[in-house]
Amino acid sequence: MAATYRTHMSIIGDILTTTRDEVPDETGASVTYLIRKANISYGRISKILETLVQQGLLEQTSSYRACKYKISSRGREFLQAYRGFREFAETFGLRI
Amino acid sequence: MEFALEIILNLVGFGVGLLIGIFAHIGFKNTGSPTLFRLTIAFLSISIGFGVVGLGYMSDSFFIHSGKIETEIQTLGIGIQTVGYFFIAFSHGIKSFFPKSRYLKSIVVPLFIIPGNSIEHIIRSISFILLVYGTIETIMSYMENRKTSTIFVASGLGLLALGEFLGWYSVVFPKSVLYVISISTKIVGLGALFVPISKVPLRGMKFGGNI
Repeated sequence: MAATYRTHMSIIGDILTTTRDEVPDETGASVTYLIRKANISYGRISKILETLVQQGLLEQTSSYRACKYKISSRGREFLQAYRGFREFAETFGLRI
Repeated sequence: MEFALEIILNLVGFGVGLLIGIFAHIGFKNTGSPTLFRLTIAFLSISIGFGVVGLGYMSDSFFIHSGKIETEIQTLGIGIQTVGYFFIAFSHGIKSFFPKSRYLKSIVVPLFIIPGNSIEHIIRSISFILLVYGTIETIMSYMENRKTSTIFVASGLGLLALGEFLGWYSVVFPKSVLYVISISTKIVGLGALFVPISKVPLRGMKFGGNI
């Protein structure tokens, strides 16, 4: 199967979807888990996670061994809106 | 009567284009997506283009009473709309503006040469090419994603292209009903573009800074 280029927004969408739908436990998802699910490098995901926490879309929770991330209510709303805009762009055959 | 119909149709085009443009702008503000930025410019330009023609005709018939600025308004409005069509085509990434095949060139080149005496018709022919390009790219996308909404967009762009073609062809029959048909076709095209957007849930889309 040919590799598909993912935009910055679609990576953010993937991260938020993972933290909403696929968290392994209640404390949230670890960076390692998110790297595996979103399929991006540590350097890149760190910057994105920092921005998402600053924007209030993700909540950072400290656990015994490392930081974990959970989607916030604002993040859920954003994800819903993002899907709407993605749908809008896709009707034009485009990606956001 | 025909003049009033032209004004109304152009104002409808202004409204529909503005609604889609605002929606794309909200998306751009919240996501910072360059695609949505290009769609914002595209639909705001299309809307302004229709608005210029509609309001221009209206002010001429109600206030100025010159009856001479029709061509200038028409050219300006269509020029602004063409910018919008360019950005729709540009969003798909124009690989090459002219087809390489000399057989296809023989079809495309006359679109630029025949109406050489009129800026308006040169602009129309450019719009037509850009819209046909956008239609083809959207049909190609439909082949991949099989979404019904994409068919609406492809039909919309196709109808806009047909409308431009009819408007361009009206040079042969000036002042005929062909121009009204052209505007009506374009409005139906814009309406088809609006159908998928109307289905997108608008609730919960109020965010400040983009990410």
